[in-house]
Formats: sequence, C-alpha cells, structure tokens
Amino acid sequence: MTPRLVFDVAAGLAILFACVMVVHRHPVKSVLALVVSFFALAVTYVLLAAPLIAAVQVIVYAGAILVLFLFVLMLLNVPEEVRQTPDRPIHQALSAGAIVAFAAALLASLRAYGATRAAPSAELPPGDLAPVARLLFSDHFLSFEALSILLLAALVGSFVLARREESP
Amino acid sequence: MTANGIPIGDVLLASGALFVIGLAGALLRRNAISIFLAIELMMNAANLAVLGYAAALHSLEGQIVVFFVIAIAAAEAAVGLAIFVALFRHTETIDVNQINLLKW
Amino acid sequence: MTVALWIVPALPLAGFLLCLLLGTRLGKGFVSAAGVGSIGIATLAAWSRLLPYFRDGGGAVVERIAPWITAGNFSVDVSFRLDPLSALMVSFVTFVGFLIHLYSVGYMKHDETDAGYARYFAYMNLFMFSMLTLVLANNFVLMFVGWEGVGLCSYLLIGYYYEREYAAAAGRKAFVVNRIGDFGFLLGMFGVFSLFGTLDFGDVFSRAAANPGRFAPGLTVVCLLLFLGAMGKSAQVPLHVWLPDAMAGPTPVSALIHAATMVTAGVYMVTRCNALFRLAPEAMAVVAVIGGVTAIFAAVIALAQNDIKKVLAYSTVSQLGYMFLACGVGAYVAGMFHVLTHAFFKACLFLGSGAVIHALGGEQDMRRMGGLAPKLPVTYRTFLVATLALAGIPPLAGFFSKDAILTGVFAANRPILFAVGLFTAGLTAFYMFRLVSLTFSGRFRGSAEVGAHVHEAPTTMTLPLVVLAFLSAVGGFLGLPEVFGESANRVAAFLAPVFPPIFLPGHEVARHAVSPAKEWILMGVSVTVAAAGLLLAWDWYAKKAGRPAERLAASFPRLYALIADKFRIDELYDVLFVRPFSWLARVLWKVVDVLVIDGFLNAGAFVVELVGDALRFLQTGNVRNYALTFLLGIVALLLIVLAG
Repeated sequence: MTPRLVFDVAAGLAILFACVMVVHRHPVKSVLALVVSFFALAVTYVLLAAPLIAAVQVIVYAGAILVLFLFVLMLLNVPEEVRQTPDRPIHQALSAGAIVAFAAALLASLRAYGATRAAPSAELPPGDLAPVARLLFSDHFLSFEALSILLLAALVGSFVLARREESP
Repeated sequence: MTANGIPIGDVLLASGALFVIGLAGALLRRNAISIFLAIELMMNAANLAVLGYAAALHSLEGQIVVFFVIAIAAAEAAVGLAIFVALFRHTETIDVNQINLLKW
Repeated sequence: MTVALWIVPALPLAGFLLCLLLGTRLGKGFVSAAGVGSIGIATLAAWSRLLPYFRDGGGAVVERIAPWITAGNFSVDVSFRLDPLSALMVSFVTFVGFLIHLYSVGYMKHDETDAGYARYFAYMNLFMFSMLTLVLANNFVLMFVGWEGVGLCSYLLIGYYYEREYAAAAGRKAFVVNRIGDFGFLLGMFGVFSLFGTLDFGDVFSRAAANPGRFAPGLTVVCLLLFLGAMGKSAQVPLHVWLPDAMAGPTPVSALIHAATMVTAGVYMVTRCNALFRLAPEAMAVVAVIGGVTAIFAAVIALAQNDIKKVLAYSTVSQLGYMFLACGVGAYVAGMFHVLTHAFFKACLFLGSGAVIHALGGEQDMRRMGGLAPKLPVTYRTFLVATLALAGIPPLAGFFSKDAILTGVFAANRPILFAVGLFTAGLTAFYMFRLVSLTFSGRFRGSAEVGAHVHEAPTTMTLPLVVLAFLSAVGGFLGLPEVFGESANRVAAFLAPVFPPIFLPGHEVARHAVSPAKEWILMGVSVTVAAAGLLLAWDWYAKKAGRPAERLAASFPRLYALIADKFRIDELYDVLFVRPFSWLARVLWKVVDVLVIDGFLNAGAFVVELVGDALRFLQTGNVRNYALTFLLGIVALLLIVLAG
C-alpha cells in the first residue's frame, strides 16, 4: 500500500467516525466514536512525518482527555438526549444554512489558496524526535515552562470549581 | 506534495471536512458535553491542517504548535469538565437550552 | 571634620518623622526629646560649620547632593549653598529656633493631649526643615520648595487649635493670601529662567553682573513679581492681612514663624536677589515705597489695638516694612542686620507675651492686665529690654539696626521716606511702651480669681527669654555704624561678598557717603524721637492710666474707630474679592456644574440606557445563539476575503 492510500483510508475513517460522533445521541457512544476518529488521525500524523505528535495524540488526547470525558459522563450519569420537537426550528435551520455556507466558503478558499501556497517538497522531512525535542527545549523553552504553569492553574481551577460546596 | 507523496490538498480537504463536522455538532447538539466533544474535534481538524503545512514546508515549528495546542486542550478539558460537574450539580441538567441564566 | 550642609535641614526632618510616626505612642517625654533634641543637634551641627566660616570668612560653598529635574536645557540640582548671607540666616534660625522649641516644652506641656503635643512638635520640626531648606537652597526651585514648606507649616500651626472656628479661618486666610504672593514668586522664577536660562543662584547673578545692560529691561517685571512673593510671605501692604490673624496659633509659633524666621524670608529673598534688584531701579523704588507705607501703616494700627499679640503682630508688619525700606534704598546690609536683631527682640517679646498669657490663663486683652511686674519679674525685665531694643534706645540692638536703615534712607536722598521712617520709629516707641505700661504697671484690672493664680513661668520658658533678652541687648554691637571705625560694622564686612559691584550703565556713581557729623546728628534725632514716643506713652498710660489717650480718641471718634478697625482692610477685601468670588463659585456650582455638566452627563447616560434597553434582548443567555452569531460573522469575513 502506498502511503497515500493509507492516508486516504485513515482520513476517511476519521471523518466517518467524526460523523458517528456527531450523529449519535448517546454521549458515551459519541466519545467512543471520537476515540476511534482520533486514532485514525494519529495514523495520518505519522504519515505527515510527525511521530511525536501522533504518540501524544494517542496518549494524551485519546488516552487521557477523552477518558476524562468518559469519566465525567459516567459520574454525572448524563441521560440520552431526547428528541425534542420542535427543538428551536429557527435556530436549527439558520445553523444548518450557516454551516453549509461555511463549508462552501472553505472549499472555495481551498481551491483558491490551499494547494498552491505550500511549497512542494523535494525530500522527506525527518521523522526524527531529536530535532523536535531540541527545538522545544531551546527556542520554545519559555513557552514550554509557561505551559506547565498553565496546567497547574487548570488543575487548581478545576479542583476549586468541582469541589462540593459546604453550604447551599 | 508533503511527506510520503501525500498531496497537501488531501490533507486540507480532510481537515476541512472534520472541521465542518465538528462545527455542525457544536451548533446542532444540545448536550453540553457533546458540544464540547465537537469543539475538540474542530481543534484536531486545525491540528491536522497545521501538520500538513508543516510537512509541506519542512518546518518543525508546526509540530511545536500542535504540541502546545494539545497541552492547552488538556487544560481546557479539565476546567471545562469541572464547570460541567459544578453546573450539573446545580441545575441537574447539561442541556444548553435549559442553561440560560445569563440573559437580560 | 566638617558637617555636610544637608545634615542641617535633615535633622529637623528626622525629628518631624519621629514625632509624627512615634510621638503619639511614646508620649510627651519622647516628643520633647526628639522635637527639641533634633533642633539642638541641628544647631550644634550648623554652628560647628559656621564658627570657622565666621572666623575665616570665605566665598560661596556649593554642595551638590543630586540632580533633581532635567528636561532639555533646563536642569535643577538639589544643592545647598553656604555664603555669608545664608550663614547669617542659618546662624540665628537654628539658634532662635532651638530656644523657641525649648520654650514650647514649658508652654505646651499642660494644656495639650499627647497627640496634640506630638502634632505640635512635628509641625515645628517640619517648619525648621523647610526654613533651613529655603535659606540654604542654591537655586530658585529648591528655595521655592522651602518657601512653600514654611507656608504649609504656617498654615498648619496657625490652625493648630483647629477646633476653634477663628483659628481654622485664620489658617485658611494665611494660606490663601500667601498663595497670591507665591504665584508672583513662581512667575518671577519663570521670568528669571527665560532671561538667564538657569535657576542656579550663582549662575544667574554672575550672568546678570557680567552683562547688566542686556538684562536690565526685562528685570523690572521679574523683580516686581519676585517682590510680590516677598510681599505675601513678609506681610507687606496690601497682603499684610494674614499676619495679625495668624496670632490665633500658639504663641511660640507666633514667635518662631511670624516674628523671627518665616516672615523675614521675603527680605532674605530680596537680599539674595540683590544683583537683580539693583539692575531694576523702578522695582527698587516700589520696594522702598511699599516698605515705607507698610511701616507707618502698621505702626498706626498698632497704636489702637488692645490684644497684646495683635500689637506685636502689627509691630512685626511695621518692622518688616522697615526692612524692605532698607532693601529698597539699597541698604541691604542694614535690612539684613535688622532681620537679625529683630529676630532676637521680637522673639523675646512674643515669648514674653506668651509667658504673660500663660500666667493669666489665656487672657490676651491688655485692658484686663496691669501690675504684673512684681509677679513676673523675669518676664518683666526681659520684656523691658526687648521693648527698649525695639524702640531703638542705645546701646541696645534695635538702635543700631534701625539707625543703619535710617542712615541708608538718608544717604539715598529720599527725604519723604526718611521722614516716614523717623516718624514710624517714634510711633514704635510709643505703642511698645503703651503695651508695657498697660501690661506691667498700674494695678491689675482682671478678675480677682485670675489675679490670684498669676505665677512666673517655668525655667524652660524663662531661660530662652533671658538668652534672647541678652542678645537683644548686645546684638547691635555686631554692626556698629561707621563713625565707630572703618571695620566696626562686622556684619557689613562679613556680608560684603554677597553684594558684588553691579551697576546699570550710566548709574555707576556710588552713593554719597554720610559724613560723621551728619551721622551723629541722625543718631541724635532718631534717639530723640524714640525717647519722645517712649516718654509720652509712659506718661499717658503708666502715670495717668490712659486718660489722655481716651480724651484724644474721644475727640476724633471716627478716625479712632477706623484705626481700631485696622483701616477696615479686611472688610474692603471682603467686598472686593471674597464676596464676588463666593458669588462666582455659587454660580459655577449651581448653573455650570449642576445644570450644564451634570446635564450633559445625565443626557449621555439616558441615551446609553435607552439603547441598552433595546439591545439587551440580543442577550438570550443561550450559548448556541452566541456560537451561531460567531459563525455568521466568520462566514461573512470569509466571503469578504474571497471576494477581495
């Protein structure tokens, strides 16, 4: 199989399961669909010469973040979304129209700019971890450290938010 | 052409498709957690586009950006889910149509 | 080891901070130690520096502490200047200040709370800091800092008994009237900068001396503006109105600020700028005339006052007029000499009056005094010495300084001003002896209860009186007139470097010297006039219990009422300035502020409220609406980009 074929299959799978995710009314199933979609995306990342990101995608995104979603869903015991009629028909119609318009505009801009602006590559980009790591810990070291503070803040913030209040 | 002979157009097309799907989910679903999931999907679509260009331009900076985006998504998910937990405890629902206290 | 100049003002500042921050907590003992001690150490520090300077003489010493303001070609340093003029001022400001602080310990101890006592000494220390900064400053800007500082302290200390309505009003009045003068000083400072391009004393005066013809045209206005500042600070007509009211403050404050030091700042400033004033003959003439008018005007008012401190206040205004008269005719040395001797005897008089008021439990009206001499022996003797000194009886200090001024006026060929000065000298002797007679001789006219409690002041109060009386007696020998020898006038010899030879082109002729014979005659005349005033007052008030004066007043009832009412200047200002301004303020408040400005604001708020009322329905509270709006915006943007 050529890499291109693999890419197309993986991307197709990602899109398919994304659709499943959106369409399914049961949130737990939505999350599981999204996990599959993210795995497929990880495959495309590998093909785009970003193995580190692919690994992070699997470990952090699919492994940690989505599991956190599942955990919260089960904690809250969120019920299945009930079909409501009418569920704000004006909003739904307007949204659908806007989404279509957006998709059309996106396609048009892809046609106009997307493919042409990228310089064609003559050789394979390195799929190596070392250069990425070197860049991350030299030029972007400060941002990297700032990120750890952000995560700490998020940790504290979520703790404070989700804490059960003593008095009503 | 990007790495491995994958045309940039394919990457961008896939990215756009995922983005629009995520957008539809964010706008049409009523369950707050589903909306949140859809937003995660949109973020991944953006990541895919960034990686595509990074590969096409032989730049490692793209990977750095995506790395940061994933980290920030983690923080966002933690805080967002904490908000939902607090909200659900308060109102017994996560249907965004029911949650409209902040109106005129 | 020489003491740096900045130490001298820094010590009172430290005392101020100590009293302010810790005074209330640590009590009166600590405040006395910190408040008086800081001035004592500052006096020692200053004199350790001044004694060699007085002995060896020497030019101007400038000590630069730090650059302060630098903007373009304008730069000002924090720098201090020691030259004969500032040395003279520092010498008596520190010493007299120390004596008055010492006196304050006895005066303030009984009737004040800990907090009030700490506040008093904090303000007094702050005043000393400001005054020393003013005197030692090496440029106009730093001088202005001290100038404003002493004004502020004056305001704070006049209003020290702020719970009394009239004291608070007097403080306000002093502040506002001084503001007029400060405004003139500020403008004068701008003028100096625009003429000379610098505000450093040394540079300004050397540039003026190097090129007198070039600067002379602009200097008249500049000097008049500077003199306006001096008029405010030194209470010259027509800005004299604040000083008599300033007597609402504690008596030591009157002695320190409103007799010995701050009010002479104007004279000091004019003398400091003598190089500029001498290039502006018109301004000099104005100074002389205002000084002369003030001298006689205040002396006349003093004749008819019954409040012991008011008499002394008008006497101070009158003597300040004398000093300006001297400056105006170019006799700067005589003016400064009078500043020095006046500091001694007027401080002594104020402190003595404080001792009297203290003894009588707060009574200030001389009509309810009398016969106090045997009960207050120390106060009486020191008061008498200081009075004789002020009256100009040889060989006490006031005689020599007053004589120097009169000689200067005579030498400058100003017969009218000379006559005014001479007449004022007679009036001065008269009203001062009226005061002494009413207070100390005859029989006691107050209530028996008050009379029974009369007691001599404690040592902390009498010691400064004795020292100041001694200085009032001998201080004059520092400046003996020329008839006693070429170098008899040590003050003149010492101050000589401060008065560089500067002459307008065409005015190089020096003043004609007064011959010894004429000088003896002048002295004789002034002594005769003073003695006449003195004896007349003694006769009228001590021997005949004031009956001749009553008859005289009764025969000119309207004139007497006018004088007793201080020529109704306050009432005139009330009609001319205060009422129109309060009317204007009322109009601005009721019409401009309430109607126009508030109207605009309320109209704007009303429109915003209307729009908000309409738009708030967009705020549905539903997240998905917001997201949809967001998306519509993005689509619109994308379309614009694509179409572009």
